[in-house]
Amino acid sequence: MRNLIDFLIKYSTWFVFAFYVILSCIFLFDKNPYQHHIYMTSAGKLTAGIYDLSHNITSYFNLRETNEELQVQNARMEEELLGMKARLQLYEERYHADTMTVTEPLRPFRFIIASVINNSIHKPYNYITINKGAKDGIRPEMGVVDQNGIVGVVNIVGDNYSRLISLLNPNFRLSCKVKGNDAFGSLVWDGKDPQIALLEELPRHTVYTTGDTVITSGYSAMFPEGIPVGIVSGSEKTIDDNFYTLRVTLLTDFSRLATVRVISSDISDSIRKVETDVNEEKNKN
Amino acid sequence: MAKTALQFILLYIVMVLAQVIVFNHICLFGYAVPLVFIYLIIKLPVTMSVNLVLTISFLLGLTIDIFSDTQGMNSLACTILGALRKPVLRLYFPREDEMSTPQPSFRSLGMSVYLKYVFSISLIYCALFFFIETFSLFNPLRLLIKIASSTLLTFIIIIAIDSLTSRRREKRL
Repeated sequence: MRNLIDFLIKYSTWFVFAFYVILSCIFLFDKNPYQHHIYMTSAGKLTAGIYDLSHNITSYFNLRETNEELQVQNARMEEELLGMKARLQLYEERYHADTMTVTEPLRPFRFIIASVINNSIHKPYNYITINKGAKDGIRPEMGVVDQNGIVGVVNIVGDNYSRLISLLNPNFRLSCKVKGNDAFGSLVWDGKDPQIALLEELPRHTVYTTGDTVITSGYSAMFPEGIPVGIVSGSEKTIDDNFYTLRVTLLTDFSRLATVRVISSDISDSIRKVETDVNEEKNKN
Repeated sequence: MAKTALQFILLYIVMVLAQVIVFNHICLFGYAVPLVFIYLIIKLPVTMSVNLVLTISFLLGLTIDIFSDTQGMNSLACTILGALRKPVLRLYFPREDEMSTPQPSFRSLGMSVYLKYVFSISLIYCALFFFIETFSLFNPLRLLIKIASSTLLTFIIIIAIDSLTSRRREKRL
């Protein structure tokens, strides 16, 4: 016994070293971002609080650019609105407004506005922290967009803060298609350039040209169909001859993310409910 | 003793805040990232027990990990760095008992030894960190450029911080 204690004391440094290395490796090889504990991420109370403080100061820096982008988007929406109004008027005239029952417009998607308080673009696996959490109605696996395009998906939700998996994270695959074409592939970042992602597994027969817009396919419940994601800038060589891989220049400027919108969707809730119901049925049988 | 402990706790907090709020957002030319928080590990007294150095290094790495969502990368690299710190110092400065103060600095080690020591530590840390980081997305050339540029940037910033703080301390004396 005495010898054992002597041995332990003599080589205690090695044991301490091995203990910390093993502990770090356990964290390191826990690759699935959905299993991270909230206190180990930037959505924790203290960490997010500190980021929130520094965000209060730095958020003023990019206001000019953000404002311009919003103006552009506003103008586009106004045009769209005018077009819609004109069309509505046309229909009203055609069907005699007084006999038509006005139905509540179908609004399956709602937006929650949030500010980005921490963000990175140069790491192999990037995450974003925002200042809205469960109290504001945010749930895991909600999609997030900004005024230009897709940003990411909600991953870990705290009371007042949540962490997103950025589109610049190889753990996140997004179902996308080239506009005007129904064949879909999955968009994934390859860890190199924060402005370029790859659209993989696109069927060989898909017709595309450089400069085409890539939009979301709507097959995942997180994003509605037709949100612009990026622009086709070329193709990559692939080993597998049956599929194309396209290089896509992303529309979202991740280095200047400021205000984002979290998509809260009733559809995704109902889809998930159906899916869990089906799974439960399976489990029963 | 209590005063030094307090100083190190303060340095710990300042380093973590500086790293996560300022230096994490710097990425020169898409390659060079300053990893300045290892300044704390560089500055720990030589007389401190290795177990304590390892513990402090691990906790420092873990704190940075939690802030920057890097799950264990910094804690692993920091632990290894904490273990390698003494051998590296011994390589350039074999006679520890001849140091005027136990804390490594320009004055206690001399200009050239201290510069070599800081450079080696930065190089080891950047090499470890980027090697761990690129486990899955391996690209040798990019990795080498990243390590070299980040080492240089980290080294320059640490020396700058050091010359600022040491000058202030000398004035006070």
